[in-house]
Parts: sequence; structure tokens; C-alpha cells
Amino acid sequence: MATMNDTAFSAVPRRRWRRGMLSLLGLLPLALLLLVWQLVQQGPSPYFPRPSLWADALVKLAVTGKLWPALWATVQTFLESLVIATLLGSVLGMLIGRRRRIAQTTGPLFEFFRVIPAAAVVPVAVLFGGYTESMKIVVVVFAAIWPVLLTVQSGARRLPAARDDLARSMRLTRWQAVWKVLVPSMVPSILLGVRVAAPIVLIIVLLVEIITQVPGLGALLASGQQNYQAAQVFGIVAISGILGLLTNLLVTAVEAVATRYESR
Amino acid sequence: MTTARIAGPPVLSRTRRRRLWLNWRGASLIVALALLVELLVQTRVVDFQYVPAPSAVIGAGWRLLASGRLLSDTGHTLSAALLGWAIGSAAGIVLGIWLGLSRWARRFGLTSVEVLRAIPGIAFVPVVILIFGFTITMEVVTILFVCVWPVLVNAVAGAQAVTAVHDDVARTLQLSRLQRVFAITLPTAVPYIATGMKLGLSTSLALAVVAEMVGNPAGLGYSIVYFQGALQPASMFAVIVWIGLLGLALNLLYELLTGRLSTVRTGLAEAR
Repeated sequence: MATMNDTAFSAVPRRRWRRGMLSLLGLLPLALLLLVWQLVQQGPSPYFPRPSLWADALVKLAVTGKLWPALWATVQTFLESLVIATLLGSVLGMLIGRRRRIAQTTGPLFEFFRVIPAAAVVPVAVLFGGYTESMKIVVVVFAAIWPVLLTVQSGARRLPAARDDLARSMRLTRWQAVWKVLVPSMVPSILLGVRVAAPIVLIIVLLVEIITQVPGLGALLASGQQNYQAAQVFGIVAISGILGLLTNLLVTAVEAVATRYESR
Repeated sequence: MTTARIAGPPVLSRTRRRRLWLNWRGASLIVALALLVELLVQTRVVDFQYVPAPSAVIGAGWRLLASGRLLSDTGHTLSAALLGWAIGSAAGIVLGIWLGLSRWARRFGLTSVEVLRAIPGIAFVPVVILIFGFTITMEVVTILFVCVWPVLVNAVAGAQAVTAVHDDVARTLQLSRLQRVFAITLPTAVPYIATGMKLGLSTSLALAVVAEMVGNPAGLGYSIVYFQGALQPASMFAVIVWIGLLGLALNLLYELLTGRLSTVRTGLAEAR
């Protein structure tokens, strides 16, 4: 290994660099499109303002102090909702996955809840919670809990019998069995659920903000549209694209943790 | 804890879900919850002004159904959803097969696709409203833009899943490029595409509702907003429940239609 060390050392970064360049090459169509857009669209347009105007609109929003609070509100709701959906989904999933009767009893109700579009839930949540931050979180959790709940449920159902036997032969109490056997066994399932849930959470946060105008990026999007500020709308869409990419990075990171955990 | 599992081998989730629909426990939970709310509202224990009793919701739903409003709204929403879904899926299949087959297209296109796909589809709703106004076109464009991605990603994977043997067969038979696409690539990719289209289908209904709530004032989504504004919560709840039932029916219908493709579920389960 020691002799291979120096070759490996130089080869890996170069390969990574090449792959990086290749994926940058893949950005070419998008970059070209934006460039053509910028050059063709002279003067203001009510529908397709040129990309440099997006930047101007964003700068204006930032200067007037609207952009950063909105961005932070969206990110904060995103993180809080993801954590709550993960915790709640994991607990419910374990409970339902381990108890067949509970699974039978809750199955149809949950199946029904799962297909109700998040947008339709918004007016109901508003009835109960008003136009507040917690209303946002309730809707997002309601929509994003299912991937976590379902993966954990099927994970808990397929827990190897040997692990149960292990808990019994070590005479663990029920509590200990849950903490030392069940929960650690569920980590891969939970992480898988988080991977699916994270993009959904981002989408639903924006959705609730667009519909209710509760402060956030979505509210800026909707108000931009209502005031025919096309440049502002496109600028915020670009920012939500960046948020989407960051979410993908988060998902990749979670994936890496999951594979390391499973190979241990 | 263990007795339940010893009782039998793990049942496939699909058959299990089917059976759940007929189980009395599940049905009784729903009925019990409805009765509980009914009781609380009738006896005025909960003093939520806007919480309707389940009986009122059923009554409102029945009136909406009888007046024909619910059905015409459903027709509008479903046609927008299905049209957007069909166009988006077709575009996703064509682009996905192309990206899957051509190394060149992947090299120059894949990252752009990744970036565009990362933009939450919902963020495009205001853009589409700006461009198309409050029309059904706006709904269809919103839906197709979101439905295209799961189909595209799955079609790329499906096109690349062609085995070496099939490649050899194509070469032995001296199939032309086009023949190869229709005789080998597409059949291989069908299960993947079907999975992508299933994901798109449930999204399409959800997006039609959103588009109608904030954009085009028509269909079921607008009905929700309308009854919310008109302070008729019973009708609002009836429409919401109806949308849920509609989603279930769409899923079931799709599963029935694609049930013949035995390998439907081998595609990518997530839209990644």
C-alpha cells in the first residue's frame, strides 16, 4: 500500500477534478439559455425580464431589508419541520411497525391522510392556528411525515427475529429493548425516510407561504406576482433553486452517513 | 412482540394495503373519530366556531353533489391534472430516453437537468401565473413542469438498464437506431417509466389544486378557497375529503391499469 500511496494520492484529485469539469460542462445549455435570454431581451419585459434585472430586484429586496428575514423564515421552518417530521414519523413508524393491530387500525385513516394534497390542508390549519409560524409547521409536518413513517414502519416490521431473541436472552426490560435494540436498528430506515422527506419539506414550506402569505420566500414570490414584479419573481425562483440544490447536498450527506452506519 | 411475526412470512405491502381496505378495525377507527367529533360539536364541548360536525360535512357534500357543482369542478380539476400529466410524461419519456441513450446528451445536459429539477416546482406557480394569467393553460403548464422530472429520471435509468444480451440481439438483427429504440430500449424502460408516471400522477392532482387556489379561479382548488371565504366550513371540508377520495381513486385506477406489467415496481421508487 505504501508504494501505491503516491500514485493514488495524485490520481484521485485529478479524476475528481475531471469529473467536476464534466459536470460543469453539463451546465452549458442552462448557461447558454440565460446568456441568450440576457442578450435578446432588451428593455423591461412584463413576462421575461432579463437575468441581470433579477439580480437588481434581489439587491433591492436585500437593501430594503425584506430578503434576509424572508430567507431565514423559510430556512427556519424547513429545519424545524424536518426535525419534527423525522421524530414524530420515527416514533409512530416504530409503534405501528411493531404492533400489527395498530397498523391495521390506523392503516386506512393514514392512507387517506396521505393522499390529501398539502394545499387542501392549509385552510383547515388556518382555521385552527391562524396565519402563524406554527400553522406552517403543522401543514408541512402533515405532508412530509409519511416517507419517514412508512420507511420506519416497514423497517420495524422486518426487524430480524435474532435481535428480538438477543434482547430477550439478555433480559432487557421493554424500555431497554427499545433503546438498545429497536432504535439503533431503525437508523438506516429513518435516514432513508429523511432523504425522501427533505425535498418535500422544502416544497411544502414554499407552498404554504405562497398560499397564506405568511412571511417567507414564498410570500415574496406571491407578492411579486401580484404586483407584476416579474424580475423579483424570477430572482426568488433562482434562490429557491439554490435552496433546492442545498437540500440535495443535505440528502447526499445523509446518504453517506447511512452507508457508513450500515457498513459498520 | 415476536408472536406476530412467527405467525407468518412478511406479507407484500401491496396485498396488505388492499386487505386494509376491508378491515373492520380501520373502518371502526374512522367511524369512532367521526362520532367523537360529532358528539363534541353537537354538545358544544369544543367551542371552535368553524369546526363543522361530520354530519354537516356529509350533508354539504351531498348538496354539492346533487347540485352538480362538485362534479363539474372535479371534471375541470381532473382534466387539467391529467392533461398536464400526459404532456409532462410524454416530454419526460422522450427527453429521458434521449439522455439515457446518448452519451453526448448526458455530458452536456445532465447537470442542467439536475439544476432545473432542484428548483421546487411550486416556485414556478407565480411565474406561470405571470406569463399565462388566470387560465387553464396556466394550470396545465404548472402541472406538466412538475410531472416531467420523475418520468425523465426514471426513463434515463430505464434506457440504461438494457442488458448486454439485448444489445447483442439488436446488433445481430441489424436493427436500425429507431428500431432499436422501439424494440429494445422502450420495452426495457417501461417499468421504470410507469413508476415515474405514478409519482407524477399524485403530484398532478396536488398541483392542480394549488394552481386553482392561487391562480385560475375554477375547479376544486378554488372551491376550497371560495367556501373558506364564504364561511361555509362544512362545504370546505366536504371538498377536501372529496379531493382525498379522488386521489385514492386515481392511485387505485393507475395500479389496476398497470397491474398487468408484472415488473412495474422494479423502477426507481423515489423521484431522485
